[in-house]
Amino acid sequence: MSTLASPGTAKATTAPKSAGPLKRFWRNNGAGYMFLLPWFIGFFGLTAGPALVSLYLSFTNFDLLTDPRWIGAANYVRIATADAKFAASMRVTFTYVLLSVPLKLAFALLVAVALNRGMRGLPWYRAIFYLPSLLGTSVAIAVLWRQLFASNGLVNSFLANFGIDGPSWISNPGTSLYTLVILAVWQFGSPMIIFLAGLRQIPQDMYEAASLDGASKWRQFWKITLPLLTPVVFFNAVVQTIDAFKAFTPAFIISGGTGGPINSTLFYTLYLYQEAFGFFRMGYASALAWILLVIIALFTAFSFLSARYWVHYDD
Amino acid sequence: MTFRLNRRKLLAGSAAALGASAFAMGPGRAFAQEQRLRLMWWGSQPRADRTFAVTDLFMEHNPDIVIDGESIGWDDYWPRLATQVAGRNAPDIIQMDYRYIFEYARRGALAALDDFIPDTLDVSDFDEATVQGGAVDGSIYGISLGANSSAMMVNAAAFEELGIDLPTNDLTFDDLRRIGEEITANSGRSNFHGLSDSSGVEPFFENFVRQRGKALYTEDGELAFDASDAEEWFSLWAEMRESGACVPAEIQALDQRQIETGMVSLGHAAVSSAHSNQLVGYQSLNEDPITMHAYPRIAAGVGGGHYRKPSMFFSVSAQSQNPELAAAYINFFVSNPDAASILDVERGVPESAAVREALAPQLDDNGRAAVEFISELGDLAGALPPPPPLGAGEIDVTLVRVSQEVAFGQHTPQSGAEAFVAEAESILARDA
Repeated sequence: MSTLASPGTAKATTAPKSAGPLKRFWRNNGAGYMFLLPWFIGFFGLTAGPALVSLYLSFTNFDLLTDPRWIGAANYVRIATADAKFAASMRVTFTYVLLSVPLKLAFALLVAVALNRGMRGLPWYRAIFYLPSLLGTSVAIAVLWRQLFASNGLVNSFLANFGIDGPSWISNPGTSLYTLVILAVWQFGSPMIIFLAGLRQIPQDMYEAASLDGASKWRQFWKITLPLLTPVVFFNAVVQTIDAFKAFTPAFIISGGTGGPINSTLFYTLYLYQEAFGFFRMGYASALAWILLVIIALFTAFSFLSARYWVHYDD
Repeated sequence: MTFRLNRRKLLAGSAAALGASAFAMGPGRAFAQEQRLRLMWWGSQPRADRTFAVTDLFMEHNPDIVIDGESIGWDDYWPRLATQVAGRNAPDIIQMDYRYIFEYARRGALAALDDFIPDTLDVSDFDEATVQGGAVDGSIYGISLGANSSAMMVNAAAFEELGIDLPTNDLTFDDLRRIGEEITANSGRSNFHGLSDSSGVEPFFENFVRQRGKALYTEDGELAFDASDAEEWFSLWAEMRESGACVPAEIQALDQRQIETGMVSLGHAAVSSAHSNQLVGYQSLNEDPITMHAYPRIAAGVGGGHYRKPSMFFSVSAQSQNPELAAAYINFFVSNPDAASILDVERGVPESAAVREALAPQLDDNGRAAVEFISELGDLAGALPPPPPLGAGEIDVTLVRVSQEVAFGQHTPQSGAEAFVAEAESILARDA
């Protein structure tokens, strides 16, 4: 419909309707937007609004007690040039992401393939293997982890059976981060469930055809299962990577909030928390948060760009 | 976090709500003048129980006043308080620490209490130095709830098993190392050493530099020690580690600076560092008897490392609608004998002489030990140091990290000391 009609034709055709595009839009979609309203309020009030405020705060010096003071890009400049802890936390976080995500996905896929054989009691196994993911980010599990990997912990008691005198894994700067990687891998439940669903989508006749042609199970896995599963692998990789960048609770509990020993578990989020709530540098912490956002966005963009070279969408 | 709503409060609350709605439009608000105060503190469950009991007692004495109490742990307390102050929603009565009182007072978050002294708030039988401990720029912003000092907690059973005498006030660092070596070498306990590695314990380090005639910070908020002090300190503990007197680095790193994770509580050492009002907490977590002793002297006859410190204050928020009532509550808290008998010495030794006297007969062994420890420091105690500047909290954390870097061999005592001082100076410059 044209609302820019010439005066001559306006009377004849569009005049009665031209008052109404908004009204019509509202009549058609109003109910839908009303239902969305609670989400809109939540999104703009609790997510987008505070996020924008934090963008503003990232250019200020703000200690919560006195009003924010505009200091331009000084926070970002310091992060880029003069912050040894930023560099340390980057190292720790990237090590954690690059180790925990592939290991976790490999483990989840292994268990999913093992479970995908129509065995009896499958729902039970599925539930049991999923359980750690439900408990995973809880404080209780992090505390349990401390007990397991402490000097007098269960792991060392077990090793003692073989005459091995294990170190205190959790409080040794050389090993503490790896205990957190193991904790992450242990929470393989949610990617496993998604892998299982993906495995169910693969047509059985492909395997039948392949075995008629004499392909071994191993070959079937590499030539059929994995290629057809790549969309699911891709999805899991993106979600798990974002999660790993945002990991906080395990390091916070296990290191008592310090990121120690010697910054060996100083996750980026933990450093951000220390700056904000330990040392009351809200402006600086906001700048750190925005840098994390950019890093995650870059990683995700890179994943999507690379996807076309290795993800197979059949249909 | 604990929030208690009992029947009386609920009734009072709903009555107030009814009254408010009925008379909101009416002339004036003279009817049913119920007054509410909010109170927030950090601490353990036993402290929460005692504080709520005192609050209930206060409300019995003052039926038209309702006090809402809120208790959380130390780590969560400061973010929450800062957020509430920033949100103009601060509690009326705020438990305050020496580390933060200057910061909060100077930024206008606390109310000066001078106008309420002595009529509402009677501190006449407090030690004058104690009252001044809560002063900022000439005005009183905090009332001390008890005195404490840093101290060593000792597993007395581990000493007794080997026939070693408990430390006295004449103990030196050399004595301490010999004791540590002896316990490590002879104790039958598994994975057990004489001492915890205290190289990252700020109060112990402060005690050490004070004995060397220095301090952590000057009045102007500069560092009051230099790299040579820190190097001596790190070397001293490096020797302790080498001779086996103290626990190795990876055991010490288990300590998360809570009573529960101290080396004594974990059963890894016979001696560790704490504050004197924590004796009660240490004993409740340990089956072996725990005794409390002063830090060692750097040489015979040298003292002045310790100081009597207000363990915590009650302050009044500058945003409070009724600061006078808040002051009255604080007065009740620090001087009412019944309140004192509920509170015991859990927040440190009471500052009021009358209260201390009234309390003396009812104290148990731990309580008496806490009182005696403070009163018998003698020449070991010196003057209260200036309050720590902004950034001191981060320097405290930095000391822990650098001490670990030295202990794990990433730094020598000398390079560690230089790194620590350089980092501490840059933190102070940043927040100044």
